Amino acid sequence: MALLQTETLTKAFGALTAVNGVTLEVQAGTLHSIIGPNGAGKTTLFNLLTGQFPPTSGRIVFDGRDITGTPAHRIAHLGLARSFQRTNVFPALSLLDNAWIAAFARGRSWRGLVWRRSDGYAEVAERARAALADVGLADKADQPAREISHGEQRQLELAIALAAAPRVLLLDEPAAGLSPDEMQKMVALVRGLKGRYTIVLIEHKMDIIMGVSDRVSVMHFGSLIAEGTPAEIQRNPEVRRAYLGGMVAE
Amino acid sequence: MSRAWLAVLAAVVVLPLTVRHAIATEIWIFAIFGLGLNLLLGYTGLLSFGQSTFFGSAAYVAGYLLKQYAINVFVALAIGVVVGAVSAALVGYLCVQRSGLYFIMLTFALNQMFYFIAYQWTTVTGGEDGMPGIGRPALLGVDFRNPLAYYVFVAALFLLSLWIMKRIVESPLGKILQAIRENDVRAEAVGYDVPSFKLLAFIIGGGFSGLAGVLYAMLFGIVPLEAIGFVFSGNVVFATLIGGSGSLYGPIIGSFVFIWLSESVSVVWERWPLLLGVAFVIVVLFFRGGCVEAWARFWSWRERRRALEGIAQ
Repeated sequence: MALLQTETLTKAFGALTAVNGVTLEVQAGTLHSIIGPNGAGKTTLFNLLTGQFPPTSGRIVFDGRDITGTPAHRIAHLGLARSFQRTNVFPALSLLDNAWIAAFARGRSWRGLVWRRSDGYAEVAERARAALADVGLADKADQPAREISHGEQRQLELAIALAAAPRVLLLDEPAAGLSPDEMQKMVALVRGLKGRYTIVLIEHKMDIIMGVSDRVSVMHFGSLIAEGTPAEIQRNPEVRRAYLGGMVAE
Repeated sequence: MSRAWLAVLAAVVVLPLTVRHAIATEIWIFAIFGLGLNLLLGYTGLLSFGQSTFFGSAAYVAGYLLKQYAINVFVALAIGVVVGAVSAALVGYLCVQRSGLYFIMLTFALNQMFYFIAYQWTTVTGGEDGMPGIGRPALLGVDFRNPLAYYVFVAALFLLSLWIMKRIVESPLGKILQAIRENDVRAEAVGYDVPSFKLLAFIIGGGFSGLAGVLYAMLFGIVPLEAIGFVFSGNVVFATLIGGSGSLYGPIIGSFVFIWLSESVSVVWERWPLLLGVAFVIVVLFFRGGCVEAWARFWSWRERRRALEGIAQ
């Protein structure tokens, strides 16, 4: 059964339809990639899924529950966690606190919110540390986020999403702006998460996608133009046109 | 007990020996006011230019009840905290809907609204003349008309406020507010309803302001109209920035500098705000973290110099 699905999801900004009638099913336990050229509407689709703004029309169903129009902070509590394409961390806070904030948000209870000492939540701290360890930043836990390298900030970006113990992990171009070396590391990281989480991955670099994905959906000008296994997608003539030729007159 | 607490305790003991009791008392009152603002300014990153709304409202309400009914001191303080928190809830609810410049202007505009209510409602507030005749009822046989007795009472309440604020900033809420200051979009995305948390910070800060307002009214026996004016709101922002908004203890240092300058130096030199202006410019240009940062930098500079001398020898 699909863990996350959309039905003819549409978002228009004035005359621009950024997402146009997207119907998508993400199966539990799979890594489902969404590819497409820049400006295809991939990030807007993520923003819709995570409640950054409501869709113009269509529905979003998560685990059998209609979550269309639910605000972002509530969607996070349901177990949809995302990473951002542009690094979006808490610069002055330590790496541990960055992950801690996300772990606490998803914690079982907020009792003692105003009065208990924040270092008294053993379970939350443990989850935050585990998330940092998962991305290989455990030894820098006490450094402020603004002092680590760009590549490490991308890893932290992922750790914040992981600390929330997500049921679906939405990754928005985790390798954006990375050097070839760092990119290899990130691909290995994502590969390591595969199977442990249901993952939706946005990417526009074909070579990253093809090795790790179970399913691939292709977006172009706001619409889905193809879906299939990586091998099917590579053979699809329409996809090749979108990527290679841009708009081909027919 | 940490060194900071020892320093604060030492200051509480030494202060009344070195300056007039009224000034010493005012310093701790203003410090409580600053603690409340700093939860918004330093921890949540919200520049509220309307803190005197809560300070003044509490001072008027509790002052009126003290004057008319000579209510118990603790009841007056409790009423002050509640009035401060409730007025902050009203103002905050409107302000947190917006951010940045619009937020600041809203806090300012609503402050002006409260000011003009106080200005017009002369039968209760006395308008421009202020509301005089506020007493300090005795408590358990202690006569608070004695300046030293009142100083001890205020200093004890200040220490209690500081302890409570320390608990709050070290709680999950403190961390969440800092996360909101650092990146409100991400804070929302990981699952925090940002406007609600900002409102909570407002309400807590309002409670502290209210407490300070009542103590102020009892100290001077009057609620002057300025207590709810925008200059007063600006003063507490000023003092907190000079002290250091990045630290729990910054507003305390700021309050000390500000009140000492305004009460002691003003007697000698009436152009004293000039000094304040210079201090402010220096802080903004060189020490964004205020006195607290200046102090920390001085120490690290000394350490480095010592280390270098050690190498030279």
